[in-house]
Amino acid sequence: MNRRENLVLLWVGIASLACAGAAEPTRENLDFFENRIRPVLIERCYECHSAEAKSLKAALRLDSRDGWMKGGDSGTALVPGSPEQSLLIKAIRYTDEDLRMPPRKNGGKLTEQQIADFEAWVKMGAPDPRRGDAAVLTSSPITEEAKRFWSLVPPRRPAVPAVKASKWVTTPIDAFVLAKLEEKGLSHAPRADRRTLVRRAYFDLLGLPPTPEQVEAFVNDASPEAWPKLIDSLLASKHYGERWGRHWLDVARYADSGGYETDIYYRNAWRYRDYVVNSFNDDKPYDRFVQEQIAGDELWPDNLDLDGSYQLPEAKKRHFEARVATGFYTLGPQVHESNMDAPKLAYERLTDWVDTTASAFMGLTFGCARCHDHKFDPFTQRDYFALQAVFAGSREVEAPIIPAMGIADFKQHYPRVIAASEARKAYRLFEAHTRDRELTPEEKQKKQRLLEGIANAVLSMPESTAHDGPFDGLMEIPTVSVLGHERPELVPVIHILNRGEIKRARDPVGADLPAVLKENSRWEGALPGPFGSRKQLALWLTKTNHPLTARVMVNRVWHWHFERGIVATLNDFGKMGELPSHPELLDWLAVEFMTQGWSLKTLHRLILRSSAYQMDSRFAHEANLRADPENRLLWRANRRRLEAETIWDNLHAVAGTLNLALGGRPVAPPLTGDEMPSGNWIVSADPKDHTRRGLYILTRRNFRFPLFDVFDLPVNSVSAAARDVTTVAPQALWFMNNKVAGQQAREFAARLVGKPGQGWNEPDFGPGQTGWEGKASGVHAGWAKRVDNGHSTPSFDDPIGTVITHGMSSVLWKAPPDYSGGPVKITGGVWNIRQLGRGGSWKLWKNDRDLLTEAGIDDASGTSSRPFGFARGRAGAEALEAIPCAPGDSFRLEILQGDFVGVNFTITSATQTNDLAAAFSLAANPTPAGWQYCESLAHGGGVIGKALRVERTIALDPVAWIDRAWRWALGRAPTPTEKSESLEMIDAFTKTADVTKETGSMPDALKRLPKEQAAALTKFCLSLLNLNEFSYID
Amino acid sequence: MKNSNTCGRHAVALNRREFLQKSAHGFGAVALGSLLMREDLHATGALSRNPLSVRLPHFASKAQHVIFLFMTGGPSHMDTFDPKPELQKYDGKPLPDSFKSDGLMLQFMKATDGRLMGSPFKFQRYGQSGLEVSDLFRHVARHADDLAVIRSCYHESFIHGPALGLLHCGTAKLGYPSTGAWVMYGLGSLSDNLPSYMVMSDGGFRAGAAVSFGSGFLPAAYQGTVIRTEGAPIQNLTPPFEKEEQRRVLDYVNRWNQRHHTERPDDTRLEARLANYELAFRMQTAAPDLIDISKEPAATRELYGVDKGPTAKFGRMCLLARRMVERGVRYVQLYNNDWDGHGECAKNHESNAERVDQPIAALLTDLKQRGLLENTLVVWTGEFGRTPVMQGSLGRDHNPYGFTTWLAGGGIRGGKAIGATDEFGFRAVEDKVHVHDLHATLLTFLGLDHERLTYLFEGRQQRLTDVGGHNNLFERLTRA
Repeated sequence: MNRRENLVLLWVGIASLACAGAAEPTRENLDFFENRIRPVLIERCYECHSAEAKSLKAALRLDSRDGWMKGGDSGTALVPGSPEQSLLIKAIRYTDEDLRMPPRKNGGKLTEQQIADFEAWVKMGAPDPRRGDAAVLTSSPITEEAKRFWSLVPPRRPAVPAVKASKWVTTPIDAFVLAKLEEKGLSHAPRADRRTLVRRAYFDLLGLPPTPEQVEAFVNDASPEAWPKLIDSLLASKHYGERWGRHWLDVARYADSGGYETDIYYRNAWRYRDYVVNSFNDDKPYDRFVQEQIAGDELWPDNLDLDGSYQLPEAKKRHFEARVATGFYTLGPQVHESNMDAPKLAYERLTDWVDTTASAFMGLTFGCARCHDHKFDPFTQRDYFALQAVFAGSREVEAPIIPAMGIADFKQHYPRVIAASEARKAYRLFEAHTRDRELTPEEKQKKQRLLEGIANAVLSMPESTAHDGPFDGLMEIPTVSVLGHERPELVPVIHILNRGEIKRARDPVGADLPAVLKENSRWEGALPGPFGSRKQLALWLTKTNHPLTARVMVNRVWHWHFERGIVATLNDFGKMGELPSHPELLDWLAVEFMTQGWSLKTLHRLILRSSAYQMDSRFAHEANLRADPENRLLWRANRRRLEAETIWDNLHAVAGTLNLALGGRPVAPPLTGDEMPSGNWIVSADPKDHTRRGLYILTRRNFRFPLFDVFDLPVNSVSAAARDVTTVAPQALWFMNNKVAGQQAREFAARLVGKPGQGWNEPDFGPGQTGWEGKASGVHAGWAKRVDNGHSTPSFDDPIGTVITHGMSSVLWKAPPDYSGGPVKITGGVWNIRQLGRGGSWKLWKNDRDLLTEAGIDDASGTSSRPFGFARGRAGAEALEAIPCAPGDSFRLEILQGDFVGVNFTITSATQTNDLAAAFSLAANPTPAGWQYCESLAHGGGVIGKALRVERTIALDPVAWIDRAWRWALGRAPTPTEKSESLEMIDAFTKTADVTKETGSMPDALKRLPKEQAAALTKFCLSLLNLNEFSYID
Repeated sequence: MKNSNTCGRHAVALNRREFLQKSAHGFGAVALGSLLMREDLHATGALSRNPLSVRLPHFASKAQHVIFLFMTGGPSHMDTFDPKPELQKYDGKPLPDSFKSDGLMLQFMKATDGRLMGSPFKFQRYGQSGLEVSDLFRHVARHADDLAVIRSCYHESFIHGPALGLLHCGTAKLGYPSTGAWVMYGLGSLSDNLPSYMVMSDGGFRAGAAVSFGSGFLPAAYQGTVIRTEGAPIQNLTPPFEKEEQRRVLDYVNRWNQRHHTERPDDTRLEARLANYELAFRMQTAAPDLIDISKEPAATRELYGVDKGPTAKFGRMCLLARRMVERGVRYVQLYNNDWDGHGECAKNHESNAERVDQPIAALLTDLKQRGLLENTLVVWTGEFGRTPVMQGSLGRDHNPYGFTTWLAGGGIRGGKAIGATDEFGFRAVEDKVHVHDLHATLLTFLGLDHERLTYLFEGRQQRLTDVGGHNNLFERLTRA
């Protein structure tokens, strides 16, 4: 409708209602009928006056135009144009004692408004589109035209168009994009610079910022293969699955709880989340991914029975994983407060399942057909309920993820549950006995004993190793929520429901697929009924001539890369949705996707290698802006506002606190008092869990994590297509004032200064722990610094040449907590210590405060007169063991899970000039897989020990901090102006800082600075985090 | 336009000055003029520019503000605003056989399980109109001639969570916007330095209450902001260091952001973000100022009862509600906890009424004295009413089949009761008013047509009133 028509409707609408007459009803009149009359007829009259009435009253039907024209026992029901002559009007006015409708027992008189509406309707000539005998919509939505709608016809591979500027074309995608641009006379943006591209690629594929070294490495790699190589390396990262899995979780309406008041906790939902992440990382073919989620149990039925070995066969594990995928259906919203109305709850669950299936896999607004035949797309109510019937035999079940043997183990330990329960009971009895009075000293002792009894009983319960993640499942048999089958006798019969209301059942329907799609995809199989139909649904959806599945997914992927889908309405491929901006491209991609084995990583490569992806977002061509302001035809890249979780990740990554552990139970970081919900937010005990990636933060349906809430986390009650990007003041308040923002600014500042012995560290290393563990970053520190200085990478054989000055540093190997391989052999040794000046000593530190051992340095020889110190720590042991090792010597040892070996030292010198040099090494050979902090150093057979260069940690060097800060926060060096402004800022704030007002915990490194300077540096860091450039990626 | 076969919501973004200028020239002229230049919010991305800029209503509005008094838990209508003489007569007896109780599904019992329980509270006639109100609300009753009591409200859920959703979002489904969010979306914000949709509670929120002020599928900008009535009123409002220092930090941030924006001049989001930092900065002063009632005169404090035990909390909230309205806040939602009288219903209600009756009466008095009641709609309701039959010994279960809501202000001609429940108060039977009808009515007061206030989601132009809202009471409430 154009504007003028709209206006007419608005202002002249009432007048048009008055224009009565038997002529063809106008659109406005029909709207009036649909909005005001039909619902009342259905609600208040159909029970007795329609085809569905149990016994038709007075032979009058009001469910079609013919019905009221013919009239009933009392004659014609109404006279179009004349309310006063119409029996129906008389009846609803309740003026005639003998003719009052609807009767009192059925709810009584209509409202005044409703009566007035009926009068107006009759007056305008009783427009009524319900021709014929149908009780539902007169015209079937299934017309030939509707059946041929573009998205409902299988895609065919179109020819790649010819273009003029063919030099720009690197993949066929470019030809399609360019053809449109040339057709409209639009110019395309130039390629973005390398610094922009590497940042774009990291955020797009991993949702993480590149480190300054990663930026520089790409910027300085002149090879034409640099870009494809970068893409490949990012796609190989485990963090890719986290980033892209989160996209899919939006589609899957993922949450860890059911919502509403009780917000029941889905303790296993995370297993589905990890399944999704792993599927993306494994590049699981998308057709298989769809099949597993819809019907993993029916397609690959299997059990976990042991068969002569405690090791489960791989096939069984894979099949079980497919079953985990059906968790997709178990994590929808759910009312729990009262189960008095069980059929209603079951119906709501089926509705969730069908609507989500249609949205997620087919991009259809199929739910519209629940209350009536779809108004715009060729789907009937019968289609809708037939799909509910596909799921009618299914129900959620808890499947143990361990073999029967393991379950029996739990039963063996059951007395410990009884012990805990009895201990608690004893305490309760005592409490009841001594209520409301002072305890005697003996009783106080007894109380203490009883409490300890509970604690001991609980602590003696076995920990389940089958539980990944930090939560110690107390004696809980580990399970996963999946789909299974209902007992046959309990499977409900599915009826078509009038207006979708459960109390208005019409004909029963069997399981079936939507008729038009079935026909268009030439599917002829029949569905077997309540059991096994999901399998057929899954197979049908993943047929290569299904019109929607591939198109919908490539469109999603396109959207996630470009911020806009080829079809902008990702979850509506129907007539109400937008038409594709590049229909041929969409079909080409869909067919190519299927031809390439439904591989998402292949699709990513195809897209990212295109020139279209690499365009500059800053290109502001005036003619283009005028012709296509929304960039529908893709003449430049779209700037991306980071999503909620990515903002969290970026913030912590820049501050150096991000814990990149993978998978496991959701975590709950601490909240401030006013952010805290009323319950169910149990803060994770391990501080390391407070800085996990946003993906892992508990997603409750009735409480949204505050940061995510202000940054447009989507509704998770239905499949979410695209995220909003709003710009509102609470976002600014969060970044300016929130405790997390402030603390991360402080950590960021500390990182710039460096911990004792630390220069830069990688975000890979996790939060700043105390003692040895936190020192891991020293390795990278030295190495990174050297690269930055333009030195060549030092090699194991040539350890000299790096200077260590007054400072403290460390390097270590630590077996990750989840490491389960055999012992790892470590070789360590000191290659050289040389003193160029006079005096000084080595100190080996246990942690930041405590000295383990000390070694003086011989003035004359420049070598250590006492053993150079290495140390090892064993899992669970408090004390460190020193490993004696003199210069030139080496040692070998083995470490196991939780062990570590390292060196942590201070060198002091009398002159405090660059006058001490040392080199040592710690090598692991071979390097075990998954020991990721070694990845970028692992060359020459897994050498990790390096000569370190450490800044003078006490030296105040704001110029160096500023440069690092901009590189870390924004991926680029500051301009000279920005540099001097930053310096000016830090100087000014150092002078004015009121350090008495500082709150929050101060990282150790910052404590080493004068308080005023620490405060000033923190403010500078906070301001960088508040920049638009931090949250918007070009 | 992309959707040729629907009439979506088309709103006009004006800045506040323009809005006020145009209003001065009369509404009709503005409306007609602006309709000619309206634009589809989504199509142009105007939402990302400033989702809260003032937008014109569909037609002249009666009210600019809403104060929504929500009695969490569900107050009994038979004990407050819906006298039931028959129920008194049948006190202690089972439901008569002639009473059709099928379909009356309850949370904890069957309708026929309990005996009827009359109200222990006396009803009296008040004002010129002689409207009947129980002794629980004897203060509010003084405003009887301003009240329009709707005794025939109903909806579909006997459970708190879904009922909360129905009352506020028009649906029990999660993910739908609250009424306040719809109003923000339709009209924008009237305040330059405060959130325009504020929420307060005297006892925290029931779990899941966030849906009742959430923005659902609408952009997050439209959600309600929870205000604490003491201390720091809004989350993240307190700067981590001195405000002057923060100002200087922001000056650097602005300078660098400006420069960044200069190289990306056509990205309006970047500009909006700059503006939002300034708004956020102002909010830091405006919000504490809002809740500082130390300068309110003694008479006002006494009127609301902010200094005495039972009324202190809700009194303070009501007083703040008035201060919000004065400052241009458009939608204020107050929660009182907790009327869920499953146990001793009468005792529960007595204690709750003692806490809210005087403050609510004070609010009506105060608004009226200041001429604010004319353009402020006050709504009083709960999730549902309660059963006429007894649950346990002296309790009443949830009853969504018939309950009471009252409205005042916004040009309502008060002193009237609309609709009726059956003889015991179990079901609305006359002139039934569904929550959709309530919402349609409320929107009409604000100048919004509930059928035209739509947002495309899941393939449908969604409405607060779904496909209902036909029993719009606006005309009847504003008629003498």
